[in-house]
Amino acid sequence: MKLTAATPWGVYSVWWRHFQVYRSTWLVNCLPPISEPVVYLLAFGYGLTPLIGGVDYLGQQVPYATFIAPGMIAVGVLFQAFFEGAYSSFIRLNFQKTWQALLTAPLSFTDVFLGDWFWAATKGTIAGTLTGLVAVIANLYAPSSLVLSLPLIVLGSLLFGAFGLLVAGAVNKVDQVNVPIFLVVIPMFTLSGTYFPRDTLPPLLKTVADLLPLAALVDLLRWPLGLPPWWPWSLLWLLGWLVLMARLAALRIYPRLFS
Amino acid sequence: MANEMLNLTAYDLWKQYGDTPVVQGISFTLQPGEIVGLLGPNGAGKTTTVGMLFGTVVPSRGFVQFGPWQMPSQGPQARTQMGIVTQEDNLDPDFTVFKNLTHFAHHYRITGQAAKQRAGELLALVNLSDRAQAQVDELSGGMKRRLVLARALLNRPQMVFLDEPTTGLDPDARQDFWRLVQHLKASGCGILLTTHYMDEAQRLCDRILLLQQGQVIDEGSPDVLVERVIGQEVAEVEGIAADLLKTLAQRYGAWCRSFGSGHLVTLPSTTADLLWNAIEAHHPQRLLRRPANLEDVFLRLTGSLLE
Repeated sequence: MKLTAATPWGVYSVWWRHFQVYRSTWLVNCLPPISEPVVYLLAFGYGLTPLIGGVDYLGQQVPYATFIAPGMIAVGVLFQAFFEGAYSSFIRLNFQKTWQALLTAPLSFTDVFLGDWFWAATKGTIAGTLTGLVAVIANLYAPSSLVLSLPLIVLGSLLFGAFGLLVAGAVNKVDQVNVPIFLVVIPMFTLSGTYFPRDTLPPLLKTVADLLPLAALVDLLRWPLGLPPWWPWSLLWLLGWLVLMARLAALRIYPRLFS
Repeated sequence: MANEMLNLTAYDLWKQYGDTPVVQGISFTLQPGEIVGLLGPNGAGKTTTVGMLFGTVVPSRGFVQFGPWQMPSQGPQARTQMGIVTQEDNLDPDFTVFKNLTHFAHHYRITGQAAKQRAGELLALVNLSDRAQAQVDELSGGMKRRLVLARALLNRPQMVFLDEPTTGLDPDARQDFWRLVQHLKASGCGILLTTHYMDEAQRLCDRILLLQQGQVIDEGSPDVLVERVIGQEVAEVEGIAADLLKTLAQRYGAWCRSFGSGHLVTLPSTTADLLWNAIEAHHPQRLLRRPANLEDVFLRLTGSLLE
């Protein structure tokens, strides 16, 4: 694969195309998926708090709803960025042939790839931020904390968007997208310290869970409650995954367009 | 740049997939205002060649020069002056007919009012103004092809590539499309057309490259090719023994090949009537005298290769 140069206009123009589709049907596109983390937040937050009370996190007692709020922001990021990258890009690549059409315009592969990637990241960012706003309204996350967490939400969205694109480039049939969902996304969504501190897991499972990228994102998003001592490594871990996923995704998609 | 006329030249293009050669040493130049046809059966390497011209297929050897740009390394720059109609339909089902144009114009940095105006002009050109607000799915096959062509013209390109643009269209829709292609040529566009329809190539092209198994087996203007390879007339004959017909053909310096359930015999201009009368004297079941066409050329050239 030869990386072709990207132009800011080219990347923006591809991103803008996806945004126009989203804008035309934003209610359908936007509300149901975002409602998911919000429903979890409300259901588990209000439903389980009376049963659980608080959880032990980094040596302090934290109300349960406050504990899961950052986890739900991360879940919104994961689902929206991954699904846009995986399903929507797969459809644009294999059914609608949007990528192929774009490459008849003066756009490079890198323009189209980055445009798709950044769009998936945009959807993750929208979902994460809206979930965060609900947490703010419910007084579970401070408004200033949400603003300061925005770079983390963007970083997570880029990572899981790239993971989605890798899946879109790797599978041959749309049903096969279910495989990484059941093998990676669902375990990650449940085990990464989203609903409970990972300390409660058996040692081996805890080690695996600690290494999941979503675990790093959840830990970092929980910064208003304190950060584990290894947090700089969590950040590097996310960046490393991001670079790896984006590179692999480009390597898988390129041969589908160029021969 | 916009007013300067650009030539497109393919230099010795080769493409190999694994051990299979798909394109083998194709070279040609396309000038502004000229229609060049790549004519050949399915699998002859037409689409692969077009892919090399606009940058989605990387040649195994050779290169394409378009004005100051080389493909595929400068594809995005070159495509600012190219219009591409691919074989597959890749219109945007998420947008209306009108927005398919205005939104695509954005990629050429044509935005806002300018995009709307250009989209309006092009819809009028391809006769789709009354369908501007329709969804793409509601269009017929011919309308979709015309819309893809309109989309390829947003940037007022100097070179247009049409990869089997009328495949699957009914005769009326093909005629409509041909009119547009002739209009483009008149406006000074260079056009590369791939087709497996002999009548389309004969009608539209100034020059034809006949392709077989990735190689150019002959080239020239349709009339010159037909005249040189076949002559002016042919006879289609059924119900005469092959040996007898071959002897007759040989005697009058003609060429003869089996064709459908009968034979095709060229009628050389100097001996046409003599040969015709000789065939007629054997009372064939079916006998047809008609002007020679590109189909006959292809039959003769590929037939001789296959023998």
